[in-house]
Amino acid sequence: MINSENITQYIKDTAVHGDIYTDEEIFKQEMTSIFEKTWVYVGHESEIANSGDYKTTVIGTHPLIVTRDSDTDEVHVVFNRCRHRAATVCQQEKGNANYFRCAYHGWTYSNNGDLTGMPFQDGYGEEFDRCKMGLIKVPRVGIYQGFIFASLSEEGPTLEEHLGNARPYIDYVVNTCPEGISLNAGAHKYRFDGNWKLQVENTIDPYHLSVTHRSFFNLMSKKTGKKINFSKMHKNEKIRDLGNGHSLYELDGDLGIGALPFNLIVFPNLGFLGSQVRVTWPVSVNKTNVFLYPIMLKGASVEENAARLRKHEGFYGPAGFGTVDDLEVGFDRVMEGLNAKGKDGEWLEISRGLEREEVDEKGIITATSSDEVSARALYKAWKKLMTADDSNVETRGKKHEPTVGRP
Amino acid sequence: MSQLLVDRKQIEEFLIDEAAYLDEGKFSEWLDLFTEDSFYWIPSNQDDIDPNTHVSIIYDDKNRLEERVWRLQSGLAYGQEPKSRTRHLVTNVKVLHCEEDKVIVTSNFILVELRRSIQTIYSGRLEHHLKQTDTTWKIASKKVELINNNEFLGNLSFLF
Ligand code: FES
Ligand SMILES: [Fe+2]
Repeated sequence: MINSENITQYIKDTAVHGDIYTDEEIFKQEMTSIFEKTWVYVGHESEIANSGDYKTTVIGTHPLIVTRDSDTDEVHVVFNRCRHRAATVCQQEKGNANYFRCAYHGWTYSNNGDLTGMPFQDGYGEEFDRCKMGLIKVPRVGIYQGFIFASLSEEGPTLEEHLGNARPYIDYVVNTCPEGISLNAGAHKYRFDGNWKLQVENTIDPYHLSVTHRSFFNLMSKKTGKKINFSKMHKNEKIRDLGNGHSLYELDGDLGIGALPFNLIVFPNLGFLGSQVRVTWPVSVNKTNVFLYPIMLKGASVEENAARLRKHEGFYGPAGFGTVDDLEVGFDRVMEGLNAKGKDGEWLEISRGLEREEVDEKGIITATSSDEVSARALYKAWKKLMTADDSNVETRGKKHEPTVGRP
Repeated sequence: MSQLLVDRKQIEEFLIDEAAYLDEGKFSEWLDLFTEDSFYWIPSNQDDIDPNTHVSIIYDDKNRLEERVWRLQSGLAYGQEPKSRTRHLVTNVKVLHCEEDKVIVTSNFILVELRRSIQTIYSGRLEHHLKQTDTTWKIASKKVELINNNEFLGNLSFLF
């Protein structure tokens, strides 16, 4: 039984327990304590640019629709679940519609979620209030620089507070181009049989570059005649713990992977790296879906954007020269190895560089780029949320020990 | 219907030989089938996209295709460790268009891949643009329209 007391046993400052990647109870609690509590990225405004545009997405395991109101242009995020008998009302990945009509018994909702009609109006009693039978809206929606986030929790930090020190880097991404950016070039979609946190950790893990991706960098040296000195590179580059689980990897020059000069993780499951926005969807404890959206520059020439796409495809995606090696080594082999549970052998190290961390006046923790600052940042936020509140476990009818507060 | 200048059988043989190179791991020989200005293309999300404005799963010019094969043969391509075993079945071969020395041929394929003890079936439509040289046909472009190109895909480090 997982609760706020014993969850702390899985996380040390220097290591995490292997069960956090394989235990179904822990996964369930991540969905309630993290994904239903914090802000989760659900889409970019460019994906629903016009009135009536919509896209479907999920938070944790909840199917949602993100819509742009046909009348007001306001962005709504509603649960994709008919108020009659629960059928999803929208099946498409994206599209444009003024109404969502449930194909089961025909209840019809406008794209702001309001119930507008149903076949055969009679048959409901006086207490049945049509106005209250619209698609349920998620409690909070926030937009930062075109990036749409939603929170299934009515309370908690504002989106701005949550993004905190990550904001200037999101600003940087948006300001790559005077006319802004657009995620309108489709997406790479891949899945792996492993835990979602492996993909998030892997988003900032420069320590593995020279090993897992040696073939890619050998290829680069073959092309450019220049060899990357990784030991020197790691000394020059920084990783920063930006707080709230977010972290940043500042590259020292171009690795040939993409246009951004940094990798950014926005807790819990959004990333910016290469020339892409990366979104990680936990499906189950050992199944994860990933989207990579190439970032297109508005107003840039077709050639310039095409060159960004080619560079992106060169390393990323289900057939990219880099991603496939991460899938095998970083996910498949890790999930396999986690089954070996020798005494005292169930911990995964995250201690590298702990001794050489520096903290600035804003509280940003920095060490060099082969250090595991990013993983430590992730698990600090993970532990904080996972131990914050057990009320969800309670409402699901499970017995649990009373919370004694944070350790 | 225009008079076919080529023998469909002959083109079909070519596709079968191409598939055999892939299944037998003869990647250098496979690479040699491509012209210097060729493309090897797997669209992402849908079959008909403009690769200049929409991301592809693979959009290799000859140069990148050489790099792809070089990487696979480098001994460091972990995505192929263990290696995929594959069998390509090429069927429904149809010559769509035919000029003196150019042919557009479409076919359906089933590709069975085995890796890490997991057997996966891929299927779709192929569109080859072939060019006749003095002695043989060459691939000017190969487009692979996967029926699951908008699904969440696994490790596609093998060759289609
Ligand atoms: S379930 Fe939607 S109308 Fe009945
Ligand atoms: Fe990697």
